[in-house]
Amino acid sequence: MVIAMFKRVTAFVLGFLGLFASGNSWGQDAKFFPYPFSVDTLPNRLQVVTVPIENQKLVALYIVVRTGSRNEVEPGKSGFAHFFEHMMFRGSENFTPEQRDSIMKRAGAEGNAYTSDDRTVYHQLFATEDLDQIMKLEADRFQRLKYTVPVYKTETLAVLGEYNKNSANPLSKLHELTRATAFSRHTYQHTTMGFVEDIQGMPKEHEYSLQFYQKFYRPENCTVLLVGAIDRTRALELTRKNFADWKSGKPHPEIPAEPPPTGPKKAHVDWPSPTLPYLLIAFRGPAYSDSKKDKAALDFLAPIAFGEDSELYQRLVLKEQKVDMLAVDFEDHIDPELFSIYIRVKDPSDLTYVEEQVAATINKFSNELIPTQKLNDTRSRMRYGTALGLDSSNAIGGFLAPYIALAGTPDTVNKVFSVYLGITPEDIRNMARKYLVPQGKVVVTLKTKTVDVKETK
Amino acid sequence: MRNTICLNIVTVWLLLGTVLLAQTEQGAKGSVEISELTSAPIYRSRILFRVGSAMDPVGREGLASLTAAMIAKGGSKKLSYEEIVTKLYPMSASFESQVDKEMTVFTAASHRETLEGYWQLITEMLTQPGFREDDFKRLKEDAINYLKVSLSNGNDEELGKEHLYNLIYGNHPYGHHNRGKLQSLEKITIGDVNEFYRRHYTASNLVVAASVPRNSPGSFTPSNASLASALPKAPATTNFRVKAPELVQGVEMEILQRETRSTGISIGFPISVKRGDPDFPALLVASYYFGQHRSSNSHLYQQLREARGLNYGDYSYIEYFPRGMFLFQPEPNLARQQQIFQIWIRPVQPEHGHFALRAALFEWEKLVKNGLSEEDFEATRMFLTKFAVILTQTTDASLGYQLDSRYYGIPGFVDYISTSMKQLTLPQVNAAIKRHLASKSPRIVVVTKDAEGLRKAILANTPSPITYNSTKPDEILGEDKLIERYPISIDPSRLRIRPAVQAFE
Repeated sequence: MVIAMFKRVTAFVLGFLGLFASGNSWGQDAKFFPYPFSVDTLPNRLQVVTVPIENQKLVALYIVVRTGSRNEVEPGKSGFAHFFEHMMFRGSENFTPEQRDSIMKRAGAEGNAYTSDDRTVYHQLFATEDLDQIMKLEADRFQRLKYTVPVYKTETLAVLGEYNKNSANPLSKLHELTRATAFSRHTYQHTTMGFVEDIQGMPKEHEYSLQFYQKFYRPENCTVLLVGAIDRTRALELTRKNFADWKSGKPHPEIPAEPPPTGPKKAHVDWPSPTLPYLLIAFRGPAYSDSKKDKAALDFLAPIAFGEDSELYQRLVLKEQKVDMLAVDFEDHIDPELFSIYIRVKDPSDLTYVEEQVAATINKFSNELIPTQKLNDTRSRMRYGTALGLDSSNAIGGFLAPYIALAGTPDTVNKVFSVYLGITPEDIRNMARKYLVPQGKVVVTLKTKTVDVKETK
Repeated sequence: MRNTICLNIVTVWLLLGTVLLAQTEQGAKGSVEISELTSAPIYRSRILFRVGSAMDPVGREGLASLTAAMIAKGGSKKLSYEEIVTKLYPMSASFESQVDKEMTVFTAASHRETLEGYWQLITEMLTQPGFREDDFKRLKEDAINYLKVSLSNGNDEELGKEHLYNLIYGNHPYGHHNRGKLQSLEKITIGDVNEFYRRHYTASNLVVAASVPRNSPGSFTPSNASLASALPKAPATTNFRVKAPELVQGVEMEILQRETRSTGISIGFPISVKRGDPDFPALLVASYYFGQHRSSNSHLYQQLREARGLNYGDYSYIEYFPRGMFLFQPEPNLARQQQIFQIWIRPVQPEHGHFALRAALFEWEKLVKNGLSEEDFEATRMFLTKFAVILTQTTDASLGYQLDSRYYGIPGFVDYISTSMKQLTLPQVNAAIKRHLASKSPRIVVVTKDAEGLRKAILANTPSPITYNSTKPDEILGEDKLIERYPISIDPSRLRIRPAVQAFE
């Protein structure tokens, strides 16, 4: 499964609000992540993170691989990290896919995986009595994956099916073209799903899939995260027992650096079926950091300038009713990615007006200071949002996985929290000035293709 | 600093989900309350009204959904929606609505520290809705654009699944999408919303399931009784009954034509079994074995996706499961008197559309004929016993399942599943499959571009051989020979093509 960008957009602040908690009443020494956790590293450099929660019957097991579509540096290989995630379910030396399915079924487990730009995450949720067996299963596929060429080729078709099912949604194409327009060298130029031509070429890449596994599925590139009915001693005992023989690998290929942007750039999608027009205004943003203020300041700006309570949203969506979707996608990334404003406009003739209003909003926040009350309300929102979100072992695992991929350790959560605590109105204004600039701007529109009357005669 | 420590400690408690008191009682004015006191600092509730889209007046389809939207996403008498959004913002609290055929549920969540203000806000929204013209215009337009654009032209999978219900139920009270019909939505007035609210949003139709932070000195506790007493007064509409749909015998199919890269298939027919009925546990086992949602552990998935690479997934259901492309687990509070058995074949390459349709029908026929093996039966019932705990793991889900159990008159979901799985036998499952999952009148919806080509091929029963990019076991190739000629017997007048944009007219 690919983390679908457009699903995140509809939930607007999920990636943001769920990420941290702070508040006026929180002291400087407060820890953002309220649960005690331990971080251990085995001699082969496999990291083990344990978050014990008392009185739980279930364990959430997350294995985070710090490889995603960002690592697809070779031409023609876009989408491979995600495709490879599929292959991880197709059997290993000691367990055929049927045996694996049977064990998971008898455990009553829920399991799946997803891939994004910077990570591939395998997650299972099950009763604690099934932990031994499931760890054994996981260890086998991470160290001894085994599949035949026919199985490999068949699975490539399932990925094409995934591309096809997503393609009905205009947001998929909008996202794809925005990436291709915004980046010239960095691998963020393609989506996690990959270019369709590359997906269609996957059946020929069996040999490459074996190399991919050897390269990225190595202990130093992975973290085993256990949350719920588990303690550190047991977690370490089970991880050592099952993963200690896993051999470390070699350094990964460099990701090509993206040169500074040379925008503004524009692109357009002619959509073949009826749709309301879309407008995507994106800016090259800063990378994730747990020490610098750049990304953190813009994390505040996103809901303040474009969220439901913003002046722009209330005017365009609620009062003037010219727009029915206005949302920011600004997920944390290892390298600089995009601050993307997604808008769906009801009438094509309003596209220019709406684009002007967004520009005026950015201009305002680049020149004026946010009132302290608004900053405090946003901190409060973050604090409560986190408390409301971490409502199960599975939710905690899901929350920590991206941080582990970004920084290699969950400690980063508390560090980034202290950065958020120090953000001021000046920081927000300065970062708007620094990043939301014409050079970094990409505007992509999508409209129903108009029929050319001459051609139809 | 004191608050910091306090929050950290209580947030940890949140996960413990410790229920200190559980009680069911009759609240004020006939409303029902299921309350749990918890040590967690979070208030969560599901505020349910026994009203749904099946009660939309004829010609006003969409009224139940629009009324709920006007409450959850519109202003109250006191505050405009903009003001409500501003008040909710620092709380990070939400108030969402979900409308199905027979129930409308509002999902509420707030931290204990913001609960008093939050409760006041949502009480005003529920009991003194503003029903303003500007909110009405916006929300009505949202509903129309959802049906016309987002569903008919942006999500082939949900389109096919929802249109299957249109086809099965026709003029039955279930025969329109929960959001309505396009022409009817155009006709709905704010007066209709007012009237619908006054009739149905009554204390006697109210059931609240809540998880309430345990009282500490001076802390606020929401009163469901005061909520109920402020609602309009009218008799309960809980005697609402719907009959099974009357289907014309024989296969019926609609091909929704639109510009798309792939071909999606939905097959279904009504079943006379709902949760709580004697055969429900047996059919649940059959359905999970055959096509558990989003699981590689099911027969259809293994045959169509894993063995043949036809698509991304293939599933089956005995209860309504909307938004399946975004969810791993079903959402509660979609309880119904009438359900259908449904097979969902996710989009395939258009050249495999005919084959995939035949393959689904072929596998369904095999299920009815052969039933489950002893091994599959044992594995599936063991799975369900444990999986019930996962389905109800969050407080919100647990509250939702409690409401559904009350609706169906069964014990708590985990107990219900655990007890019924223990008692179930393989012969019972296989007999129930023959009793309920055999039908000579399935309804089929296909979403594709070349509708005419597919129609002709189906009517002519043209063979649809399939070739693969890799070698396949003889067993699969042998079955393919049967599948590629699997006959679909359908009268030409009952295989219609409809432009996708007309699905919800």
